[in-house]
Amino acid sequence: SDEKTPNFKSIGSLSPAIDRKIEPFGAAFLAHARRQRHGRTFSEDDRI
Amino acid sequence: MREETSDPTAGTTSTTQQYAIGISFGNSYSSIAHISGEGKVEVIANEEGDRQIPSILSYIDGEEYHGTQAKSQLIRNSKNTVAYFRDYLGKDYKSIDPTPAQNSAHPLEANGTVAFSVHDTESETPNNVSVSEIATRHLTRLKNSASDFSGKTVTSAVLAITTDTSDEQKAALTAAAVNTNVEILQFIPEPIAALLAYDSRATDGPISDKLVVVCDFGGNRSDVAIIASRGGMYSVLSTAHDYDLGGSQLDTVLMDYFAKEFEKKHKSDPRKDPRGLAKLRLESESVKKTLSQSATATFSVESLADGIDFRSTINRTRYDLLASKTFARFTALIEECLRKAELDVLDIDEVVMAGGTSHTPRIANNIQSLFGENTTVLAPATSTSALNPSELSARGAALQANLIQEFEKEDIEQSTHEMITVTPHLSSAIGVVVSGQPEDSFTTVIPPATAAPARRTITISAPKDGGDVLVRVVEGEREIEVTQPEPKAPKENGTKGEDDSDGDDDDSEEEEEEPTRSKVWRSKRTLAEAVVRGVKKGGKVEVTVHVDADMSVAVTAREKGGKGGVRGTLGKPAVQENGHA
Repeated sequence: SDEKTPNFKSIGSLSPAIDRKIEPFGAAFLAHARRQRHGRTFSEDDRI
Repeated sequence: MREETSDPTAGTTSTTQQYAIGISFGNSYSSIAHISGEGKVEVIANEEGDRQIPSILSYIDGEEYHGTQAKSQLIRNSKNTVAYFRDYLGKDYKSIDPTPAQNSAHPLEANGTVAFSVHDTESETPNNVSVSEIATRHLTRLKNSASDFSGKTVTSAVLAITTDTSDEQKAALTAAAVNTNVEILQFIPEPIAALLAYDSRATDGPISDKLVVVCDFGGNRSDVAIIASRGGMYSVLSTAHDYDLGGSQLDTVLMDYFAKEFEKKHKSDPRKDPRGLAKLRLESESVKKTLSQSATATFSVESLADGIDFRSTINRTRYDLLASKTFARFTALIEECLRKAELDVLDIDEVVMAGGTSHTPRIANNIQSLFGENTTVLAPATSTSALNPSELSARGAALQANLIQEFEKEDIEQSTHEMITVTPHLSSAIGVVVSGQPEDSFTTVIPPATAAPARRTITISAPKDGGDVLVRVVEGEREIEVTQPEPKAPKENGTKGEDDSDGDDDDSEEEEEEPTRSKVWRSKRTLAEAVVRGVKKGGKVEVTVHVDADMSVAVTAREKGGKGGVRGTLGKPAVQENGHA
C-alpha cells in the first residue's frame, strides 16, 4: 500500500497506553531521566 | 577521626567530601551499608559486631544503650526501653497500633505527637521523649557506627522505606535525619532496594525483562510488591501489606509451645509474669533463628518463672507443623498481591525474598511450591545464589546513594519529578510471527508494562529454505491454558513435570492428577507486515521494535548479517485523554 516502502505495510497502531510511574532508582533510570531532560533519543544518547 | 585529604580532581562545588550511606530503618532491626574502597557494596557491622542492629534504645542511670545491648534490657528495664517506634513517626497518636510496644515503653500522646515516658537522664522524674527525638538518637547511633567503621563523616544517606510510607512519615524521617546532620538524598522503597541489590550483581549486558515478586517479611509486618523490571527500570504493579504478620507471630508460636511445656512440668505459666514473658520472647526468637539454620534448637532460660530454670529442645519438623497456619498467611499475602495486579503465578519470573523472616526455610519452600519450578525463588533455602535477605534493603539503598551522591539536590528533584517518572507503559505485548511458523505462534519482542520509549531487538529463525520471509508485527495477550489430565490414564505420557509442584500435600495424590496449567502468548491484533526478501537457507531475521514516547512505533526487519532491510513506522494510537488511566 505504501509506495515508498513496498515491503512494509502498516496495519494498525498500538492499544492505548497505561500511565504508570517508573521508580526513580538505578543506573537505567538515571540514563532515562537524562535523555528525557535533554530531549535526547536512544541513538543520540548512544553516540555521546 | 582521620580526615583524608581529598583528591584535587574531585570537583570544585564543595570542599567537604561526600560520604553517603544506605540505611535500612526497620521497626525491629536496622542496618547500614556503603560502597567500600574496592567499589563493593558492604553491610557495616556496628561496634558490637552486629549487621542487623535492633532498633531499640534503652536508658539506665542516664546512660543510653542501643541495639542488642538495649534489646536485652527488655527483661529488666522494659519501661525505659523504647522499641518498635519506626511506624509511629509522622503519625497521629490516634492512628497508631500500640500492640508491638506493649512489652516496652508504651507510646503516649504528648504535645500533639507520639512520645515515650522514659528516665533518660539521671533525674528522678521521667521525660516525655518524642518519637522524632527517639528516631534522631537511633539514627545518630547508626551514623556514628558507619563513621567509626569507615573513618569518614557521613554527610548523606538514602533511606529505605515501605511502599506505603506517607508524605507525613517521610517528612518526619527527613526531620529526624536533619537533626543528625545527615541529609536524606532520596527515599527508596524497600522492594526496589532489594531488586537493585540483586541486579547490581549482573556484570555484563542489560538486565533482562522480568516480572518480580518482592516479599519483605519483617518482624511485625509483611509487605509484598509486584514489580515489572524492564531493561533495568522498575514499575510497581501492585502491593499488599499485612500489619499483623511477621517474625513476631512466629515467635509467639514458639512462646506458646515452650510455655505449655513449662506449665506441664511446673504448673505455672511463665507468660503471666512480665519478666518471664520477656525472657520467653527473646529466647523464642533466638530458637527460631537457629531453626532456620539447623534441624534442631535448644531453648534454655535461667529462672524463667518462679525461680525455675528451663531447658527444652525442638526440631524443625515440629516447628513447621506448629507454625503452618502462620506460614500459610505469608503465601496468602503473595496471592492477594497477584490478584491485585491481575497476574497468575505463571507470569512471575523471579521471587526476591527480603526481610529477616525470609530466612525461614519452610516459608521459602512454600513459595517455591506456589510458583513452580520455572520461577526462581531467591532465598537461602531455595537458591544457592541468594543474598542474605536481611541485608537487601540496606545494600540497595547504599547502591543508590553511591549513584547520586555527587548530584546537586536540584538535579535529583528534577529527575524524580512526575514529569519524568510518569510515562505511558505498554498495555499489551508486542511480538512477531514469522512465515513458516504456525499462525498462533508468538515471539515476544517487548513485554507488556514496559515504559515508553523502549527499544528491543530479537533474532528469529527464518523458514528452513529461506526466500521471502513475512514478518508480522502483532500485539499479543497472555492466556493460561488448562489441560485436564486424561481420565484414569495410569502412565504419565509427556508431562513436563510442572504439575507435581502444587504444594497441596493432601491425601488424594494417588487418585487425582491435577490439571496442567501453562502460559501461552496469543497474537490478537496485527500491527504491521514486513517482507524481508531473499533470505538465505537457514538464515535468521533480526527484528527491532522501537516504541517512541508518544507510542508511535518504528520497525526494522533485516536478515541477520545482511544490509539495509525493511523499515516502517506506525502512527501513535488514538488519544484517550482525560479519564482513562
